[in-house]
Amino acid sequence: MARSLGTWVLVVGLVIAHFVLHVGFGFGRGAPDLLTIGLLLAAREVGLGAAAVVGLLFGLLEDALSVLAFGANAVTMTAIGIAGAFTRHLFVGDSRVFVVSYFVVGKWMRDLLHWLMVGEGLRQPFASEVLGLGTLASAYAALIGIALLTLMGRAGERL
Amino acid sequence: MPYGPEPQTSGARRQGTLAAVVMMAALAVPYGPQGFQQQVALMLQGSALAPFIAMQARLAEGRARAEQIDFLQAELDSLIAETATQAALADENRELREILGLGDRAGPRFLAATVLRPGTPGSESMFLVDVGAEQGIAEGAPVVSARGLVGRILEVRPRSAVGMDWTHPDFRASGMLADGTAFGLVENMRGEFREEDRLMLNGTAYHETAPRGGLVVTSGLGGVFPRGIPVGRIDATAEVQGSWRKSYWLQPLVDPGAVTHVLVETSAGGSDVTDMWMGDAAVAVADSAAAR
Repeated sequence: MARSLGTWVLVVGLVIAHFVLHVGFGFGRGAPDLLTIGLLLAAREVGLGAAAVVGLLFGLLEDALSVLAFGANAVTMTAIGIAGAFTRHLFVGDSRVFVVSYFVVGKWMRDLLHWLMVGEGLRQPFASEVLGLGTLASAYAALIGIALLTLMGRAGERL
Repeated sequence: MPYGPEPQTSGARRQGTLAAVVMMAALAVPYGPQGFQQQVALMLQGSALAPFIAMQARLAEGRARAEQIDFLQAELDSLIAETATQAALADENRELREILGLGDRAGPRFLAATVLRPGTPGSESMFLVDVGAEQGIAEGAPVVSARGLVGRILEVRPRSAVGMDWTHPDFRASGMLADGTAFGLVENMRGEFREEDRLMLNGTAYHETAPRGGLVVTSGLGGVFPRGIPVGRIDATAEVQGSWRKSYWLQPLVDPGAVTHVLVETSAGGSDVTDMWMGDAAVAVADSAAAR
């Protein structure tokens, strides 16, 4: 229970930090995607439905600032939430390899889905947006995610 | 295949159904009416995202103010630079007015000239003036300012001349107290630093006492400088040799480094220029220079 509460506190903190960095300070890609990290952490705590709701809320928050592709984040984050929660049926999540892979693949899938959802008119080239920047952003997110779990003393525990 | 624990709050089927419904709702969002999308966006911008948007606005305002401060600082620097330039202009203007006053009293005997200093190593105590042989300037011609003796011309070219000021080690001038009671030789005494360079009235008779603050002018002896050009004021007794000779430190009236405009005597010079500095205005100028 205490572990779950700690995770939710962390998730709320990540959401606030995400919008402080991205909206408040306007750091853009220079700041990590803390919203996706928060969603991936939250998805491991709840069932498929709750994860989908959390993903939808997170996605709508980002879409509120997206003028031309409203809904793309909502779909993407909902799908990532569901997929993250579904991994609980497949992996215990107590190994470092899983945690790193979880963050990397989760973030990369988020970028890929968003790229697909924004529509042809707004898409950047796949190679630069998904393969290049998406891969870098995935590694960045994984690094931040691992650092956060280490700071919380949960590096070796089940995710 | 290992399993993680299911949440105890709801069943797997319920969760799956909820996930499917939410997913369908999410898929409907991009294709919803534009008005609905705008309403959702505005609602979120005005509630959950409002603090972050306000933060960005404040930061942007702060950045704009910082840029304004930079701009204001740049303007202030420009104004300070301009003010400094104007101070130099005012100084030059005052000096030119003094020279004009002196020039009126001197008549055609002295020519106004601008002083240029090379500023290169080895050119200390030397200066250039923009008048030369074509204007009637000869070697050894005295160079004066409204305050007194600056130096003399060493080398004359057709349209310019090179001079030395009183800080040059070879500078010598026959001097006397303005009332004619004591005579001597005014010479430069070098200090360890250029700032310590001083003038000395050397070789005055032992029985003649020069009062502190007494004005020393050129005596005209030797024919280099005409009689009556102010040189300095008695500052202190420098040396007493036996009971037959005294020398005095002088407070120079002219700071050569600050001189930009001078009068140079032409070859049609005379022997006495006392009247040029002995008028009320000239005395006041000399006094103010001494006070500085």
